[in-house]
Amino acid sequence: MKKCSITLYVNDKKHSLDVPVNRTLLQVLREDLAMTDVKYGCGAGECGACTVLIDGDTPILSCLTLAALADGKHITTVAGLEKDGKLHPVQQAFIDEGAIQCGYCTPGMVLKTVSFLAKNAAPTEEEIRKGLEGNICRCTGYEKIVKAVQQAAIKKEGGKV
Amino acid sequence: MSSRVLPEFEMLIPKGMDEALTMLRDYGERSAVMAGGTDLLVMMGSGFKADFVLSLSRIPDLDYIIDDPGEGLRIGAMATLSQVCESQVIKKKYRALWEAAVQNGSPQTRNMGTVVGNLLRASPSGDCCCAILALGGTVILKGREGTRAVPIDEFWLDYGVTARKTDEIAVEVKLPPVEKGMVSAFKALTRTTLDLAKINAAACFQLSGKKFTKARLAIGAVAPTTIRLKKTETVIEGKEIDDTVLAEIEKAISSEISPIDDVRSTAEYRQKVSGPLVKRVIQAACNGLD
Repeated sequence: MKKCSITLYVNDKKHSLDVPVNRTLLQVLREDLAMTDVKYGCGAGECGACTVLIDGDTPILSCLTLAALADGKHITTVAGLEKDGKLHPVQQAFIDEGAIQCGYCTPGMVLKTVSFLAKNAAPTEEEIRKGLEGNICRCTGYEKIVKAVQQAAIKKEGGKV
Repeated sequence: MSSRVLPEFEMLIPKGMDEALTMLRDYGERSAVMAGGTDLLVMMGSGFKADFVLSLSRIPDLDYIIDDPGEGLRIGAMATLSQVCESQVIKKKYRALWEAAVQNGSPQTRNMGTVVGNLLRASPSGDCCCAILALGGTVILKGREGTRAVPIDEFWLDYGVTARKTDEIAVEVKLPPVEKGMVSAFKALTRTTLDLAKINAAACFQLSGKKFTKARLAIGAVAPTTIRLKKTETVIEGKEIDDTVLAEIEKAISSEISPIDDVRSTAEYRQKVSGPLVKRVIQAACNGLD
């Protein structure tokens, strides 16, 4: 087949689409669904800007995912983290710590942090830096991003370190 | 640089193995078979074209990691590097593969990329390739006529070329059961965490007291495919690990490899570093027995 009918659940909203099979999930999210909170960085799997969460909190690269093969999947983008007008603790921590400069790595970085903290609720600094591998930031030098992750971890644990 | 638009192709999404093999009978010569897609899509973004892409993703039960102490470890075609990272069995018994998986790429690519896919990519810098060559794996190929097993030593024919025929699917890689005293380790030298290896090496051997036996030494990015250091293996067979033997290793290796200059490194660097790298891998494997 050259075209495919698919269903994507993006931030809990159902979308039914006909997509050419050579379209990536990144293209479909940004261009067909206008979800420009998902960023195109390198298109080759090296920068992490296109990171989305699939089926819960598993981070994947949307630039290396064929949309046709994401049929039926539940995808979370950074815009889907907000609940009832309230920012996710990770989003808030990035803002509070000044961990955003140009903002381009931020969606991927925030989603990666969400998935990372789900597996490691009380990480050391070294574990945070290791856990964020695959998401590149050209602006911040990572210092404030690391702090934001630490703050988000503390808040998540209800003040416990 | 990679283009954001992939070349056009027709997609084949079989729901079962029989359907997949029938598709490959008809279109195999014009098809790229896709597991995780982390290599294929990057190649396509850089101009690689195939008329058909056959995805394995809808074939059920290909993502297994099954340990049978009698038969060995079986890793299915769709088992991801993340699954390897999380496998306590692999971490304990097939350490070289675990070490290859945990340092490869990023968490995102590890969630998508597969072990068997790395073998099929047949790049000499493949990390899982290197570990599995040292561990002595076997690739299981399924065709319409039946199943055949190709030892990993015979699997890579040239850069990017494997023993898989165009109407076959690599469904599994099998690692031999672990014998008592068997240890293994893997190391890669990269510029950054996501980089392909400039050079990598893995060792697997029996350690009885301080003596090496049945050593398999694998090294990558120094030849058109990942290779065994067969001469070096015979140099150390039956010997005890000490500084003299480790020095002999460094000397033997340089005559077995043929590195080139490429985007990632130079022949000179690879030549100089290969000996110390293999030495360190062997030392790491010895330490892992504790």
